[in-house]
Amino acid sequence: MTAAVLAMSAALAAPPEKIEFWTFSMKPKFTPYFETLVKNYEAGNPEVKVEWVDFPWDVIQTKLVTRIVAGTPPALVNLNVPWADEFARDGLLAPVDALLGDARPRYLPSTLEDLRFGGKTYGFPMYSNVAVIAYNTQIFKAAGIPHAPRDLDEQLLFARRIAARTGKAGLCPALSKIDGLMMQQGLPVIRDGKAVFNSPAHIALIAKLAETYKAGGLLKDALFAEDNFPAAIDAYKGGRLGMLLAPPTAVKRIESDARDIYAITDVAPAPLGPTGIADGGWLIHFAVPKNVDAKLLPAVGKFARYLTNDANQLAFAKQASVYPAMAQAANDPFFTTVPPGAGAAEKAVSAGAVSMPHSHTLYVAGITDYDELRRYLVKAVEAGVTGKQDVKQALDQAVAIWNKKLSAQRSR
Amino acid sequence: MDRATTSVVPAQAVVRHRATHAEPERTGSMDSRVRGGPPMRNDGAGVDGARHANLTAWLFLAPALALLAVFSFWPVAFGSFLAFTDYSLIRETHWVGLDNFRYIFDNEMFVTGLKNSLVFLLMVPFVQIGALGLAVLVNNQLPGIRYFRAAFYVPVVTTVSVVGIMWGFMFHEQGALNYVLTTMRLVGAPVGWLSNDSLALFAIMFVTLWRGLGWYMVMYLAALQAVPADMQEAAILDGANRWQRFWRITVPMLRPTIMVCSILSVLAALKAYQEVDVLTQGGPMNSTFTGLYYAYDQGLKHLKLPRALAASFVMSIFCIGIALLCLRYIKPKHR
Repeated sequence: MTAAVLAMSAALAAPPEKIEFWTFSMKPKFTPYFETLVKNYEAGNPEVKVEWVDFPWDVIQTKLVTRIVAGTPPALVNLNVPWADEFARDGLLAPVDALLGDARPRYLPSTLEDLRFGGKTYGFPMYSNVAVIAYNTQIFKAAGIPHAPRDLDEQLLFARRIAARTGKAGLCPALSKIDGLMMQQGLPVIRDGKAVFNSPAHIALIAKLAETYKAGGLLKDALFAEDNFPAAIDAYKGGRLGMLLAPPTAVKRIESDARDIYAITDVAPAPLGPTGIADGGWLIHFAVPKNVDAKLLPAVGKFARYLTNDANQLAFAKQASVYPAMAQAANDPFFTTVPPGAGAAEKAVSAGAVSMPHSHTLYVAGITDYDELRRYLVKAVEAGVTGKQDVKQALDQAVAIWNKKLSAQRSR
Repeated sequence: MDRATTSVVPAQAVVRHRATHAEPERTGSMDSRVRGGPPMRNDGAGVDGARHANLTAWLFLAPALALLAVFSFWPVAFGSFLAFTDYSLIRETHWVGLDNFRYIFDNEMFVTGLKNSLVFLLMVPFVQIGALGLAVLVNNQLPGIRYFRAAFYVPVVTTVSVVGIMWGFMFHEQGALNYVLTTMRLVGAPVGWLSNDSLALFAIMFVTLWRGLGWYMVMYLAALQAVPADMQEAAILDGANRWQRFWRITVPMLRPTIMVCSILSVLAALKAYQEVDVLTQGGPMNSTFTGLYYAYDQGLKHLKLPRALAASFVMSIFCIGIALLCLRYIKPKHR
């Protein structure tokens, strides 16, 4: 009789709720981390079955769209801020304000600000990063530079001085992301739906870059490439570049790949722009796609808060050499104190932590075909910086193209 | 079971089939059709035999045709249709007429890409002459010639990502090419092969040429080895020198191969995009976009499928048009 009752109750018991969550580019390095997370969560929440799926970063968007359209989206998905903005605009994400609950104040305010589109929050911040400035002390000494640069003007001045006195390049800014640099310098790209990056202040900024380029202060390799980081770090490791603006992980790479250069490397926080925003900031979060079963949402919220809680973010950030997006974890001594006798890699972690509260993902939100428009901007900047065209003329032409296309978008 | 009912071929068909072999004069109508002439007789057995032969041929073709229909014809037809819509996975699809075509022709990247795809055609004579020259060289029976044949073919089997890394290093401002040129004092300062908008497209074309030479070399080599030795010997007896034998015998005998290789090379030039992706991603200053790279960029990088399909549609029209021109003007005289 007892056996029959037990069998019956087992049969009547609800099947465990399944939560599928997606990350990108985590396997194989972080497989033990995520498998342990899942195991621990399932042990504490037997009513939930968690499935972890990892995709390469360049396919996750397509996979997500097809699964949302098929009506079988994952419960949570890793996205960066520009992707989330685009997905939210297309109505493919659900706001998570109700799911953040009492965890909301524990996230760094800057991270939640980045995830607010149209007054709603679209994700649980997971980890972020920011640039530091690594510099070759031997090149600095040869160029007679006494300290790390404190603002953009000084960076460009030092770059020119390095070129003049050592014949080497001083800096390799990511000029394919010139829109971010403009915004960091307090120069808007768009105002009231119109492109405005041809103001005298914008022209002055590009003219300063052009002057530095002409003086040989900017590394010419891949200066305008979509991703110029490989060229920049290779040049730094080869002793051909004075300053490297990159996340602290880059300093770790220098340590493992070029010990001689690492030994003469020092690190400082990257200069904040006049806006007080740190250079090179980005944020990865967990978003909730549209069409996730409403009955599952409370469990999804609970799991997302677990995935991004202080302890888990701290453990992940330590392993991945990134920064937690939780205030308490971000203030852990691991990030804020420099141990005695620390090398450049440890100093880089601490320098980045100084900038973290000022980190934002800088991009122009809410514009259709933004990547294509940006190509016209980058082309104009390239023409101006390399001296192929007058800076004002180049920017005027790009602004005209932008406004024509923006106006066509509005009339559609 | 009755034996007759187990046969998979109807008895009548067997009889007629045999009849076509036993009485060739009765199949005159079939032969004349093959030759393109009018049917001489139209008796029932000949027509049925032809139908049977046709059916057999279609049955043999069916598996390949089914695969082509599913994986080539249908995607091409459906993709062409979608080029005239605002297709998106997340919204209802509407017919938008020529909107996508207007958009791409108003876009500097596509227009530049189209021009660049035509500039790529300049590479074709160099590839063909280079490949033919290599084939003639490696056709000699010299010690170690197999090594050279293999070496020239290696670029064909090298993946494009490796090609990108290797040529990226070669063309780098501090790379091998600039090192040689500056060391020999042929240039005063390193050349921006991939960062100068006047040079980058030609640098990419050179890589495409380098990748293609081996492939066409093998095709020419096969054709060269099929040139009858007795013709060459007869020409030698007639006192023809090496150069005369090459122009009067070898080249005319190679005309069918030259035609095929030229058409393939023209189409490959028009469809170039991989080298752009691994070396410049369309830069510097959008100067290395090709028509197909624009389609790839729009479709796979930015998920703007209708624009990508419109660009592909335009490129397909170009490819078909130029292939037809080639077929018209490069006709083999010797078959």
